Amino acid sequence: MKRKSYHTKPTTEAEFKGPNYWRSLDELQGAPEFQEWVDQEFAEGASDLSAPDRRNFLKIMAASFGLAGVGMTGCRMPERRIYPYSKQPEYIIPGVATYYSTSMPFGRENIPLVVETHQARPTKVEGNPSYTLNGGGTNLFAQVSILDLYDPDRARKHHDSKGNFLSSKDVEAILAEKASNFKDTGGSGLAVLAEPSSSPTRARLVKAFKAAFPKAIWAEYEAVDFSNSSKSASKLLQQPSRPVLRLEKAKRILSFDSDFSGFDVHGTANARAFASGRRIKSAKEATKMSRLYAVESNLSLTGANADHRLRLASTNIPAFVNLVASHILVDIKAPDGFSKEQQKWAEKCADDLKSKKKQSLIVAGSNLSVEVHSIVYAMNEKLGANSSTVDYVAATEVSESESIQSLASKLNKQSIETLFILGGNPIYNAPGSAQWSIAQSKAKEIIRLGYAEDETSSSKGKKPTFIVQSHYLESWGDGRTWDGTYVPVQPMLEPLFQGFSDIEVLAHLTSDPKTNGNDLVKSTFAKLTGNSSSRAFSKWLSEGVLSKSEYKQISGSTGDSPSNKDFSPRVTTLSKENLELRFVPSSHTWDGRYANNGWAQECPHPITKVTWDNPILISAKLAEELEDVIPEAWRMSDKVFGQSLNQLVRRTNEFNRGREIAPIAEITVDGQTIKGPLHVQPGIADYTLILPLGHGRTKAGRVGEGTGHDFNPIRRSSDSSAISGATIRLTGDTYKLANTQEHWSMEGRAIVREATAEEYSKHPEFTSTLGMESHSPKLYPKIKDVNTGKWREMTEAEKVKHVPRGNSAYHPPNFTEIEKKSDRLELLIPGRTSRDGLFDDDPDNDEVTQTYHQQWGMVVDFNTCIGCNACVVACQSENNIPVVGKDQVLRGREMHWMRIDRYFSNNAYREDGKPDKMEIPDDVQVSFHSMMCQQCDKAPCESVCPVNATVQDEQGLNTMAYNRCIGTRYCANNCPYKVRRFNFLDYNKRQEGHFYEGPLGPSGVNELHQMQKNPDVSVRMRGVMEKCTFCVQRIQEAKINHKAKNKGSGDVLVPDGTIQTACQQSCPTDAITFGDILDEKSKVSELKSSDRNYAVLGYLDTRPRTSYLSKIRNPNPEMPNAYLQPFTRKEYESRNGHGGNHGNNEDSIHKN
Amino acid sequence: MANIFSRSSNWAPIKIIIGIFFLATVVTSAVTYYATPKYLRVGYQPQQPVPFDHSWHAGKDGLGLDCRFCHNNVTKSEHSNVPPTSTCMSCHSVIKSNSPKLAPVRESLQSGEPIEWVKVHKTPDYVYFNHSAHVNRGVSCVECHGRVDEMQTVRHDKSHSMAFCLDCHRNPQDHVRPIEHVFDLGWQPASGSATPKEQKQAQRELGAELVADWKIQPPKSCFGCHR
Repeated sequence: MKRKSYHTKPTTEAEFKGPNYWRSLDELQGAPEFQEWVDQEFAEGASDLSAPDRRNFLKIMAASFGLAGVGMTGCRMPERRIYPYSKQPEYIIPGVATYYSTSMPFGRENIPLVVETHQARPTKVEGNPSYTLNGGGTNLFAQVSILDLYDPDRARKHHDSKGNFLSSKDVEAILAEKASNFKDTGGSGLAVLAEPSSSPTRARLVKAFKAAFPKAIWAEYEAVDFSNSSKSASKLLQQPSRPVLRLEKAKRILSFDSDFSGFDVHGTANARAFASGRRIKSAKEATKMSRLYAVESNLSLTGANADHRLRLASTNIPAFVNLVASHILVDIKAPDGFSKEQQKWAEKCADDLKSKKKQSLIVAGSNLSVEVHSIVYAMNEKLGANSSTVDYVAATEVSESESIQSLASKLNKQSIETLFILGGNPIYNAPGSAQWSIAQSKAKEIIRLGYAEDETSSSKGKKPTFIVQSHYLESWGDGRTWDGTYVPVQPMLEPLFQGFSDIEVLAHLTSDPKTNGNDLVKSTFAKLTGNSSSRAFSKWLSEGVLSKSEYKQISGSTGDSPSNKDFSPRVTTLSKENLELRFVPSSHTWDGRYANNGWAQECPHPITKVTWDNPILISAKLAEELEDVIPEAWRMSDKVFGQSLNQLVRRTNEFNRGREIAPIAEITVDGQTIKGPLHVQPGIADYTLILPLGHGRTKAGRVGEGTGHDFNPIRRSSDSSAISGATIRLTGDTYKLANTQEHWSMEGRAIVREATAEEYSKHPEFTSTLGMESHSPKLYPKIKDVNTGKWREMTEAEKVKHVPRGNSAYHPPNFTEIEKKSDRLELLIPGRTSRDGLFDDDPDNDEVTQTYHQQWGMVVDFNTCIGCNACVVACQSENNIPVVGKDQVLRGREMHWMRIDRYFSNNAYREDGKPDKMEIPDDVQVSFHSMMCQQCDKAPCESVCPVNATVQDEQGLNTMAYNRCIGTRYCANNCPYKVRRFNFLDYNKRQEGHFYEGPLGPSGVNELHQMQKNPDVSVRMRGVMEKCTFCVQRIQEAKINHKAKNKGSGDVLVPDGTIQTACQQSCPTDAITFGDILDEKSKVSELKSSDRNYAVLGYLDTRPRTSYLSKIRNPNPEMPNAYLQPFTRKEYESRNGHGGNHGNNEDSIHKN
Repeated sequence: MANIFSRSSNWAPIKIIIGIFFLATVVTSAVTYYATPKYLRVGYQPQQPVPFDHSWHAGKDGLGLDCRFCHNNVTKSEHSNVPPTSTCMSCHSVIKSNSPKLAPVRESLQSGEPIEWVKVHKTPDYVYFNHSAHVNRGVSCVECHGRVDEMQTVRHDKSHSMAFCLDCHRNPQDHVRPIEHVFDLGWQPASGSATPKEQKQAQRELGAELVADWKIQPPKSCFGCHR
């Protein structure tokens, strides 16, 4: 049918001005050719139509539109762009990570690091193996520090006190002006408050500062001060010095309130050295293990790993030190006031120390006074520990500084004109006795170098001039580790936002000609080493440590042991009305600085497993006594879900639906009061309250605000010495605590298998006698050795290929070992034999080779795992694991792929295996169990996935294809280890606090957070299951690099030790070993063949690739209440009806 | 009650079912044909901001540059990088230094802004592909990208669907070649006069040798590409 041609109407003027819908990119670009084309009404050729009917016309129009790029071409592929560099920087290869060494300034020491960067963006922090004392391990705070670099709440612009923005040039001008102003007055009226630093560059700049401004005040303060040991050493040896522990040489260690392997100086190195003393290869070495005694008021990480632990209030520990000293030194009198048991404890402990002489060590905690440290020094001297298990080294570059209290008093006298605050957050965490918020406002002018608009930067009253501080990952600097090794602080990238470092500010103030951080460090390096060549400097940067730069040991003793006659502490009786307060740094925020760091806040506390909060820890005894004073009204109310309970005894400590409802208490000391939630914690001294600092900040940023409670107001000094005389009152309010592990009993299952060293040396096979699998026919039968003809156990390599008995549907992956090349070819070209004559059948070329995929396995040694949680955050950092926030943790939705379970076990079990009392025990043993996906060969999760999103691969890993997962969650249901994590909400895309708003809420990962993500790992969306992958990205990277290096050859097996999973690399004690289990010489195969090796819940026959080495404790049989079996064993034995007579006869241990 | 529905509505359910069935078939066929990578991606040939001609630069009738002259990180990294502007300008600062077609290149070098190339080949976010693993183990560029050295404008030559990748991962002997010929896109396993069938057979045999010698074991399970 013929139709009339269709004339398009010309576009009117109004339409031109109307909404501009663009039809193609060309039009948007306004390409003149397109414009010309559009102006023509008809496409070329339209008028040539002989029969202009509609159908043909439209065909041509469509085709020509299509050719011009209009219409559906945009739908075929969304247009994406590639943006290469214009001028590519050297050494940056997109897709390949570059590693730079640096170090993290942490109080009075630096932690050496190697940082992985992707196109100049730091994505992961590792330890620097060149610093052998840390051995490549890091602590928890080094791992979380990288997220601070990408903190969206960090300051971005300098501003003056009125809020006007300043440029960096303006800031430099201000500093120069100050420098010239104060030069005339010799610095009178000038004061600087900074945090202590180990940096030699800063030390020399401070010296220059003091020389330029003799009347100026240089003050330093630390919220958490661990310098008592150094102070006492300096006093005794009459020169600046500090103790460096050499725990690897110590066989008997006594710790007085010291957390030397956790939150104390040189913690990482001490943990490593301590673990090396605990590591045993076989039963013969069992009795060579070290033994740790701990006397403490708080259940610290160190105490949790102790063989003998005495709970004692910190106020009474000095007296106890004297008690122990009375057995070691001659002129000490044993103080009265201790029970018979405590006296015996001290005596036997001292005897044990004396028996080991040079291999023993006594460590005093940083909260104990200088006098106590002197006594400990004398004891170590007598035992021969000095210069053996502890070295005293000459610590140089320690600047003389005033305390914050003295600065505060000067401020109050109105004698300070300009106050510089470099870093720190004194308004929040200065000790209360300084009354800093009042003092700070007395200065006429405040100039603050700060990282964020925190409490100090936005104090009421006087607003400071604010200079943005750069993060350590983006600034130049240097430092010394605790033992004096000189390490650099090297930036990974230019400061993201303006940013000055503290040494640069000081350089400007002292009118140093060099104000660039790089120049400053270079000149310090030249001075220190006497070598100003850039080659030497580059070598230092590339290695990350300056070899042989440790502090020199101070030899010789002080001669007379210090006079202890004047030091006679008394034993005070504490009670509910006279409580002791002990302040500890928080595992979440340290002293508050990491409050806005989601990783740090969400990483559970190693002992309490509480996230996002800092509950006040009380002992069970105090809890029982408080029961009597619970306000009646509260007891009757149904604030705690209608149960007329107090939450403080065990039967009700099974928290309601995973939420711990903690009562809020008011603590009063010296007329000051603070409030906080109570958490009952076994292992704490009876009348001691443990108050973690660092929470309750008022200006911390979007993550940190509203978390926890502030306990700083009642602190007197920063050295964490205990305060007594506190009272407690329950307010009747409650508070929810997000606790990731409420249950602390293994319920008689052999999850963590333990024995004493004695038992292990006599019965090396004890591990295989525990657990349900010991009572059933063996999972892996003995096989006859082909060479010797003897029956033996299967090796790990053989176990992996073994098909279970009983017509199992499970078959191990096919590890075809091809003998001859010709046979292999036959497999590849089916139907073709090697006798076709197409190949040169050269018998010499027909070599015997093995071709198999390497099978990955892992071993975790319970003897060396100290429960520090560095691996948990390392895994989160490496694998783009989101932070979910307190609300979600309350629902049990924390996303950590790896968790450390901690179990408490106590001494009193009945015949039926139930604990003797239903209350929370006081004296407990702690067991740590790190749990990640066990990569089971017979995984219960694989067979139940309806869409096959999780399958076993050729390397033995349990793979997870995120794009295939539909979120059924059957796999997590079936997993006996509960290691699978589900993205219930879009944690990665939606912002915290807005998860439930879904698409209606603010979306998009914060731009800064995006920079931290590891590009080698997918970021998972809502509805997808995830779990530990054995860091498959690192495995693949190692395999690919190996193959690329050996291209064109058959060398495909990655050598042992090349691949380190994130958890393994961050572990300071090397508790985790990873490698190829088919390789009989690999480290992991060696460990798996140990008699301590076992699989958790092995009776389920899941055949996990991750196995554990059971824990050996080393008790002293002479000690009072010495245990012949670890408490978890007692629980296991009594729960499983193995007879009540523990330990005294041979058949308390089941022989198979 | 009067009849609300006429008699013909008795056939409605069957008609609806047949209609739905027909619709489902059509939709499925349409999607399978039109909405899979083989149709969507193959032939995609977007206009680039600079009309870079591979057939001149890399082709044997032109300059004959090796692929790695510009895509230099292909043996080291997962990406075979699009070269930075400085690579182009290493020649074009003297050759055709005033050509209007190269204006975006000169502008990029001067301003420091990148040239906004249109991405032709893209794998989804949940797929990890590593170039160096392939190129160092005998897989040539031509296996996945086609004869780029004969393209005036780069087009998407193969489907790059998962089936495409698995085809090779399951039969590596059909796609590997000696290392020295990886960047020789026109290389043939048998002599030039052989028929395609003979080429295929020659490739298979040579490939089998290489797979055996180099222990080529391409991952066939999920973690190989989906991390």
